[in-house]
Amino acid sequence: MATLTWHGSSYPTQVLVLTGRSLRALLRTPALVFFSVLQPLIMLTLFSQIFSSITSTANFPPGMTYINYLLPAILVNTAMQSSLASGIGLVQDMSNGVLARFRSLPIRPSTVLLARNLSDAVRTAFQLVLMIAFGVLVFGFRPDGGMVGTLAALGLALVVGWALSWVFIAIAAWVRKAELMQTVGFLAMFPLMFASSAFVPVGGLPGWLQAIAKVNPLTYAVDAARSLALAHPVTGVVGALATSGAIAAVGAFFAVRGFRRPLSL
Amino acid sequence: MSELMIEATDVSKKFGDVHALDGVSVTAKRGSVLGLLGHNGAGKTTLINILTTMLPPSGGSAKIAGFDVVRQGHEVRSRIGLTGQFAAVDEQLSGHDNLVLIARLLGASRNQAHQRADDLLEQFDLTEAAKRNAKTYSGGMRRRLDLAASLVGRPEVLFLDEPTTGLDPASRLAMWEIVEKLAADGTTVLLTTQYLDEADRLADTITVLSKGKVVASGTSAELKAQVGQRTVTVTLDSASDVDIAMKAVNAVGLHPVVEGLTLTTPVSASRDLATVVRALDDNGLEAHEIGLKEPTLDDVYLTLAAN
Ligand SMILES: Nc1ncnc2c1ncn2[C@@H]1O[C@H](COP(=O)(O)OP(=O)(O)O)[C@@H](O)[C@H]1O
Ligand SMILES: [Mg+2]
Repeated sequence: MATLTWHGSSYPTQVLVLTGRSLRALLRTPALVFFSVLQPLIMLTLFSQIFSSITSTANFPPGMTYINYLLPAILVNTAMQSSLASGIGLVQDMSNGVLARFRSLPIRPSTVLLARNLSDAVRTAFQLVLMIAFGVLVFGFRPDGGMVGTLAALGLALVVGWALSWVFIAIAAWVRKAELMQTVGFLAMFPLMFASSAFVPVGGLPGWLQAIAKVNPLTYAVDAARSLALAHPVTGVVGALATSGAIAAVGAFFAVRGFRRPLSL
Repeated sequence: MSELMIEATDVSKKFGDVHALDGVSVTAKRGSVLGLLGHNGAGKTTLINILTTMLPPSGGSAKIAGFDVVRQGHEVRSRIGLTGQFAAVDEQLSGHDNLVLIARLLGASRNQAHQRADDLLEQFDLTEAAKRNAKTYSGGMRRRLDLAASLVGRPEVLFLDEPTTGLDPASRLAMWEIVEKLAADGTTVLLTTQYLDEADRLADTITVLSKGKVVASGTSAELKAQVGQRTVTVTLDSASDVDIAMKAVNAVGLHPVVEGLTLTTPVSASRDLATVVRALDDNGLEAHEIGLKEPTLDDVYLTLAAN
C-alpha cells in the first residue's frame, strides 16, 4: 500500500490541468460546440447575402467583394461573442459545484480564471478557423493579404476576444448571474456591432451613427483586422493590441478580486 | 495521540443581522469523529465553511492540524477533504476524470492520478460507471463520487456536511460504514447531521448546535448525563387535541416539544407524570399513549436544540 500524499501542484500545472478540464468538458458536450459555431455561421451566411448590394454604394471601397469586407468583421465579432460566453461559462462553473471543490483544494483561485480564459481562447480560435474555412470554401473569400494576412487578422481577433473575455470573466466574478449577463451583454453588443464599420463603411452611416461609430472601439478592431486580411496599409493594429492588453490587465485584476469573495453569497 | 486536529475557539459569523455562529468552540483529537448535531439553520454548514477556509470568521479563531484557517489557508487546504451538502463534482466529466483532475491538481503524476482514481472508484463501487458523465449518476452515486473526490489527497481531516441527508437506507448504511473505516484508519472526521442515530453511531464526541450556539457537548453518554432528566411523552389522537394538551401542560408549568401528535417534556420528578395526567384529564383529553422515559440522545436533542 502506497501512502503517498500530495499537497499541491505548481501554478503552471494547475493552469494546464484546469484548461484541459474545460476543453475536455467542451468536447464531451458536442451540442455546445455545434451551436457556438452555428451562430456566427448563420451571421456570415445571412449578412453576406443581405448586405452584398452595399458594394455598389458610393462609400464602399471600389472593386472589393462584400465577403472580403465582411469576413474580418465576422472574425472580430465572433471573438467578441465568444468572450461573453467565457463569462457565462464561469457563472455556470460556479453553479456546477466543481468550483466549490476547487476552492477546498490547495490551488490558487486565479488559476481557475486563467484556465477559463485560455480554454475559451482555444475554443474561439477553433471557431475563427471554421469561419475562415467557410468563407473561403463557400462564400469566395479571397483576401489580398492571403493566408498570412488572414491568419494575422485571426490573431488580432483572438487577442481582442481574449481581452474582452477578461472583462466578462470579471463581470461574472462579481455579478454571478448567467441570464443577466447574457441579456445585458447582448444589449450592449448588438448596437455596438451595427454602429461600427463592421458591416458597412462608416461613411455610409447617418450622421449620428457615424459619430458613435467613430468612437466605437469595435470600429478600430474591425478596421485593424480588415487592414491585415486585405493587405491595406496596416492601421491601428498596434493600438488595438495595446488597448487589448490594457483591457485584459484591468479585467484580470478585477476578476481575481471578485472571484476571491466566497461562493455562497 | 491527543493532538488536536480541529480546534475552533469562540468562532462567530455574522451575515448582516443574522448571527449564524455566536461564540462556537469545538475540538477534535487526531483520529476521532466529531458529530455536529443541529436543525436546519443551526449553523452547521457555516462552521464547516469557516473550518475549511471557505468563509472568513467574523470573530474568534480556528486551527486545523495546527494551521490557522485565516492566515494559513493553503496549509489547511492541503490537509483537508470536504464533502459539502451539495455534491461538488464536475457534471460534465466522467467519474474517472473527476478524480484524475483532483489528483493532478494535488500534484500527482498522470500515472499516479489514474491509479488513485481507479482505486477510489473501486472502493466506492463506481467502477462500472467510471466512464460515464457524472451528470447521469444517481444521487447516491454522486454522493459517493463526491466523497471519493474529497479523499483523493488522503486528507488528515475530513469534513462531511450532512453526508446522508436524502439517501435511501441502504446508501445511508454504506456511508456509515465508509466513515467508520476512515476513522479506524486514523482520519479525523467532522460530520454534521440532523439525525441522532447517526451521531450516536459514528461520533466519539457530539456537539449540539442551536441558533449558532453550542447548547451541549460531550460523548453521547455524557450528554445524557448532562441532561439528567427523564421525559414524559404523550401521544394524542388528533392535532386539535395536541393544541389543547399543549395549553393544559403549559398551564402546569411544563414546556413540551411537539412532534406530530406526540408531546415530549422533560420532567424533574416522577410525580410530574401524575401532574401531566391530571392536566389532560382536567381538560377532558384521553391520551392515546403516555409514558415516562429514561433520557436518550433524542431527548437531549429535543430539549436542547428546540429552545
Ligand atoms: N451566505 C449567507 N448569507 C446570509 N445568511 C446566511 C448565509 N449562510 C447561512 N446563513 C444563515 O445562517 C444561519 C445558519 O445557516 P447554516 O450554517 O447553513 O445552517 P445549517 O447548515 O445548520 O442548516 C441560517 O440562519 C442561515 O439562513
Ligand atoms: Mg447546512
